Amino acid sequence: MLRLTAVESGYDLLQVLWGVDLHIEEGEFVAILGPNGAGKTTTLRSIAGFVPPIRGSITFRGKELSGILPHQVSRIGIGYVSESLNLFPSMSIYENLLVGAYTIKDKARVKTTMDTVFELFPRLLERKDQLAGTLSGGERKMLAIGRGLMPDPALLLVDEPSLGLAPIPTLATFEALKTLRERGMTILLVEQNVNTTLRIVDRAYVLEQGKVVLEGTGEQLLSNNHVQEAYLGI
Amino acid sequence: MTTTPAAAPTNLRRVPILKRYLTFTWITIAIVVAILIAFTFLRPSIVVDTLVTGGMWALMAAGLALVFGVMNIPNFAHGEFFMIGSLVAFFVFSPIQKAMTDNPGGSTLLQVLGPIPGMIVAAIIGFCAGALLEVILFRPLRKRSRDQWVMNTFLLTAGLSVILVNSDQLIFGSDNRGVTRYWDVHPLKILNVSVSVDRAAVFVIAMVTILLFSMFLLRTRTGRAMRAVSQDESGAQMAGISLNRIFTLTMGLSCGLASLAGAALLWLYPSTPTVGQQPLYLAWYVVILAGLGNVQGAIIGAFIVALLQTLAVYFVGIGWVDVLPTAFIILILLFKPSGLFGSEVKGVWEQ
Repeated sequence: MLRLTAVESGYDLLQVLWGVDLHIEEGEFVAILGPNGAGKTTTLRSIAGFVPPIRGSITFRGKELSGILPHQVSRIGIGYVSESLNLFPSMSIYENLLVGAYTIKDKARVKTTMDTVFELFPRLLERKDQLAGTLSGGERKMLAIGRGLMPDPALLLVDEPSLGLAPIPTLATFEALKTLRERGMTILLVEQNVNTTLRIVDRAYVLEQGKVVLEGTGEQLLSNNHVQEAYLGI
Repeated sequence: MTTTPAAAPTNLRRVPILKRYLTFTWITIAIVVAILIAFTFLRPSIVVDTLVTGGMWALMAAGLALVFGVMNIPNFAHGEFFMIGSLVAFFVFSPIQKAMTDNPGGSTLLQVLGPIPGMIVAAIIGFCAGALLEVILFRPLRKRSRDQWVMNTFLLTAGLSVILVNSDQLIFGSDNRGVTRYWDVHPLKILNVSVSVDRAAVFVIAMVTILLFSMFLLRTRTGRAMRAVSQDESGAQMAGISLNRIFTLTMGLSCGLASLAGAALLWLYPSTPTVGQQPLYLAWYVVILAGLGNVQGAIIGAFIVALLQTLAVYFVGIGWVDVLPTAFIILILLFKPSGLFGSEVKGVWEQ
């Protein structure tokens, strides 16, 4: 479904990715793990169109993505939930979700998608009219994921949902992602929380210094020596 | 599972109602409203004048605030769209006026609706000019660099203002092109004050436009997208909103409002190359007073500035018409540097 081939990417004076290869198939739940500064976020930003790759190719359903703008990436069916969430602070939860459904003109469809989001996160329904800027950290994550789901994407990119969250909301967020996966959503997740992540995903990549160093199923990586030493502290 | 969280997140609605309205901003609004109500009985003409001028400054200031809020551009060429509007209205209305004077007692329909086409054409041309400008000037600049964006666009619009003023002078000369009045009928009596139909029409046009504009921002898909862009550009892009499209539309809309104001005020401000300067600076007073980039605040602020101007004219002298608002703004900024409605959160509508 999505395939990155030898992607090199980065910012003005700083190249971050040095040839990343990865792929994700329809219906898969895949994670990218790795230490700070390894290029996990940059990988997602490159896919989402915010950082255009310097070299290499990114294809989605056979279509080349490099060079297209972020809003076009969203329109071909890739939802992106960024690390900083990028919510609209002075809009209510309801309005944030409505803006999320900007590309969908059919009002009935917007209503059904919103109902599924509210079903997934009942908390959002309770606080429907509250301004996004006044929500708690956990609620903000829920809203960001909810907004990402509004255009009904085929692939959802989620950047560090556990960042800055207490253990309980973190678990709730992971639960929601698991539910989404069971419903057939394809998810590419970036995480630092290696232990929990490897238990819920199908496959994972370990990114170090801008390159993929390991790849395997969750179980394979959990029993891998390098992962155990570097990330699990066993 | 319904457990009450120990530390409930701050919810605006939970702030006691009295405390919420006992702020500097609301007190100022209350004073303004109180003065207006008091004068309704004492000197109704002050109220009428305030509402009429306020409506027009609101049109100018709302556009200025919108462009600053959404695109971060301090548009110092905003007044030139007022000028373009008055010029267009003059050229559209003149033949209509000639037709009316040529057969007096002719069609009443023409007399009633005569000035309207000029205003509509002015608004449309203003919209197109603004949109075109965005595409040929700001878009390439945005592509090149967004460093020092506010400063760059300030210089760009200030230069543009000079170019437009001089082009107008070159092409049309520096003559006054105006009309004595739009509607040649007896003045209306409102609150025992005689108000010319032109003044009343200006107020109605301003109110209707502001209402439609607010509904557009609050209720429509595109208006919501505009507010989304002003609050978080990346977030808007993630939702599939094309920034270029929204920016072009924003600039067009803002310039269209300025042109409409120019057209509706043609009987008061005859079209000259520099006619836009005074409205521009008044709109800036309003926007600075209200807090940069806040459209809702700009609309209210416009009436506050209009009240101060009217009070200056009535009680101090016409020469003080710009002094009183300026002094007031300096005073406000001393106590509330972000403006009456300004806050940390950036947004075109919300406080």
